[in-house]
Amino acid sequence: MGNFISRLTASIQTDSNSPGGITFPKFMLIVLQLAFMLLAMRQFQIENAAFLRLAVLAFGGFLLHAWLPLAYRLPFFLGLSLAGIVLVMGWLNGAWLIGIGLLLIGICHLPLSFLWRIALLLSVGTVLALQRAELLASPWSTAIWPILGSMFMFRLIVYMYDLQHEQAPFNLSRSLSYFFMLPNACFPLFPVVDYKTFRRNYFDADSFHIYQTGVDWMLRGVTQLVIYRLVYYHLTLAPAEVHTGGDLAQFLLANFALYLRVSGLFHLITGLLHLFGFRVPETHHLFFLATSFNDWYRRANIYWKDFMMKVFYFPVYFRIKDYGATWALVLSTMLVFFLTWFLHAYQWFWLRGTILFVPQDFLYWALLGAVVIANSLYEAKWGRTRTLNKSNQSWRNRVSLYLQTLVTFIALCILWSFWTSESITGWLSLWQVLGSDPAAAERNSNPVFNTQSLLVVALLVVVASSTGTIGASGNVPPRKGVSRKIWSPVSITTVKIVLLCLLGIEGIYSQFSPTTATMVLSLRSSHLSRIDTAKMERGYYENLLDVNRFNSQLWEVYSKKPTNWIDVDSSNLKRFVPGFVRTELIPSFAEDTKHGRITINQYGMRDQDYAVAPEPDVFRVAVLGASSVMGWGVGDGETFEALLEERLNRELTHSPYAKYELLNFGVAGYNPPQQLPALEKALSFKPNSVFYIATGREMSRSARYIANTVLDKIAIPYPELNAIVASAGITPDMDETTALRLLEPYGQDILTAIYRRIAGQCRERGIKPVLIFLPQLRDGSWQEETAPSLKVATDEGFVVLDLNGIFRNADIKTIRLAEWDEHPNKTGHQLIASAIYDALLANREAIFSPTRQ
Amino acid sequence: MTQDTIAIVKEFVLREFLPGENPDELTDDTPLITGGILDSIATLRLVAFLEEKFGVKFKAHETDSEHLDTLADISALIQTKLG
Repeated sequence: MGNFISRLTASIQTDSNSPGGITFPKFMLIVLQLAFMLLAMRQFQIENAAFLRLAVLAFGGFLLHAWLPLAYRLPFFLGLSLAGIVLVMGWLNGAWLIGIGLLLIGICHLPLSFLWRIALLLSVGTVLALQRAELLASPWSTAIWPILGSMFMFRLIVYMYDLQHEQAPFNLSRSLSYFFMLPNACFPLFPVVDYKTFRRNYFDADSFHIYQTGVDWMLRGVTQLVIYRLVYYHLTLAPAEVHTGGDLAQFLLANFALYLRVSGLFHLITGLLHLFGFRVPETHHLFFLATSFNDWYRRANIYWKDFMMKVFYFPVYFRIKDYGATWALVLSTMLVFFLTWFLHAYQWFWLRGTILFVPQDFLYWALLGAVVIANSLYEAKWGRTRTLNKSNQSWRNRVSLYLQTLVTFIALCILWSFWTSESITGWLSLWQVLGSDPAAAERNSNPVFNTQSLLVVALLVVVASSTGTIGASGNVPPRKGVSRKIWSPVSITTVKIVLLCLLGIEGIYSQFSPTTATMVLSLRSSHLSRIDTAKMERGYYENLLDVNRFNSQLWEVYSKKPTNWIDVDSSNLKRFVPGFVRTELIPSFAEDTKHGRITINQYGMRDQDYAVAPEPDVFRVAVLGASSVMGWGVGDGETFEALLEERLNRELTHSPYAKYELLNFGVAGYNPPQQLPALEKALSFKPNSVFYIATGREMSRSARYIANTVLDKIAIPYPELNAIVASAGITPDMDETTALRLLEPYGQDILTAIYRRIAGQCRERGIKPVLIFLPQLRDGSWQEETAPSLKVATDEGFVVLDLNGIFRNADIKTIRLAEWDEHPNKTGHQLIASAIYDALLANREAIFSPTRQ
Repeated sequence: MTQDTIAIVKEFVLREFLPGENPDELTDDTPLITGGILDSIATLRLVAFLEEKFGVKFKAHETDSEHLDTLADISALIQTKLG
């Protein structure tokens, strides 16, 4: 203890010339910037609440760490890292994660031969993989897998490689810190930090320089994440929304700019590591300004490139170089790109627990590998321009460089759009807009930004990749004897952070125009974009197939979903049938699910059995709808339809009817056009009223369903819908993107035809058509179609009951099944039943007046 | 011997990778790999040159910034290999 105190005292009295030392004024400058940084992170809710807690822990830890004797700093960092894991994952999951980690690290150091240790690691890895795939049971929560995977899936390879070649003495704190690294608990996507660099660059330069670089990089990371949100929320387009060349440019640029998220996160992570003396190199360096494909590979995700070079490229090259340098170069590069593709799928497995194989993925890496090989052969023969001093470049060189940068940027945008596309045919259809009728295309175009705004955003994106002061030129410490500038970087960085903080204050941004203020407000929180929300909503209605890569934030939501989670599409309660309706519930199906028992009656309704013809004094209602009506996520008797029926019979006793019967014709996954055949079935039960439950995006869902029906060559038995298909000009030989692009402008016409037919059939039989609008559990862009849809319903003669706002005061976590499945749970259904009951009473005369067919 | 080695390597680096550059700007501790002058292809060309010129053999794990980042590092590695 006395020894520690004397060392601590010496540490505080030290100056910045001793390793790890810093003077008090310089320390306070860093603290000041970190305080503003924390405020900016809070203002913009950077990443998630867990990260903010971790940042508080890290910054607080820094205050003590910077003054500890050097020998105590690594153990302290390790303690902080372990505390971070427990803070984010809780005691139990944290303990499991640390325990598994210790087992893996322990195997690396067993007194066995290298090959035996590798074999043991592979054996344990196989068991863990079986558990990850849920083929073997595991006693810990599935929540630990993505983090455990990101800590060990690549770092174990690097670590074993370095153990084989390094002579450096073992240091327990360093080894454990390397794997349990502080910010990792929050980030499944984590840079592949090199162990040797982690060891070698530890406090190997002036401490103030290291800390200031860390602050600069964190600022760059936060800035990039905020600009990423601007692009993600406001600039991205769905392929079907691309109608003109301008839309295409916006689509390509926005799609490529989404990479800012990876860069931003990695800057944040490596910046944070600097606060604890790890002077790790940059992970990205002006990557949007690459001058060739090789240059892109060198600048973007540098750690990955270094990992592949170190572990695969150089060893293979040295092994085969005697067969000729050119062949060795080509084969080594080919192997690197093949393994990059494979390891990408390997990473996906540990993060998501599923196998990833999409042709675009393989083709992208094959294509990139081919151009990098061509580029490498060119450079090997002709060399490339390098300079020690950029100011020496001639104007010709500069112009040439700018042109190369522009061409490379455009080529990368195109290649990137291919990689992240949902399908190859969809990607190919994007380019058809270049040959389409400009006037017609312009009418359908709905660009979020005009060309000038687009240029401003492009500029911002480029600036974002270079924001910072010290960090902008990499992480090269000042040469010995060169005076170190302090005030300039500190003041510039501080001003930038303060400006960011000010931008996030409501009292300030609300002074801007409403459009700008709304945009800034949107940047202050992390949520899914309009496109990803629409995809998630699609997942709500149909099986979501395209969340299969890191091409949106949606995968992060789905990564939390247990692999044994049964969703509505994998519950086997439906079957395919020929014809326009495509699917139906399996009659007499019964199964116990984790949400309760699901029973389908003999007629294919999730309901009790009813007589086909009602008793004379019964008021019978046919309820049409999708999964929320069918009641996915609740047991029999807990659906809002069942609750409503029970309450009507219990409380509405003073009425002309002896009984109310609500027949549940809801089928999970049904879109509005499928309600037409559902209605035909319902009419055979002779209802007094039809309740059509609409749940949002009625127009676009209708258009998508009709488009897919045409593409699947299924006959549409409704002449008015066929007329619309003919007007839009879609044919079965088209790809989905093109068909959607052509049909979506007819969304309102399609919905009108559907509502008109439903209302008309009801009127013919003296039935009251009632449209109940049931909102989704959270606000979102789905609301865009609500008002026009309800107007169509009113115009076509429905009694409209709008339940908008019923969930507004409820905590979404208490009314949904799970973060990845936003169907209402039992409480949600109770809320809905109560709201419909109130709405029915308010419209009692219009709905329950006796108009028996 | 060390200065001779540095001079030979410096002459090669200037000739092959930095033609037209002021030799005075390439110092013994100019970062070559971490400074972006030596990429993987250039590093392999440098290694091939060193192996031929000095009659030494490199191992794959030595082609990194720990061993080859500066002229001084390169010279030190060659001296070690030459014994």
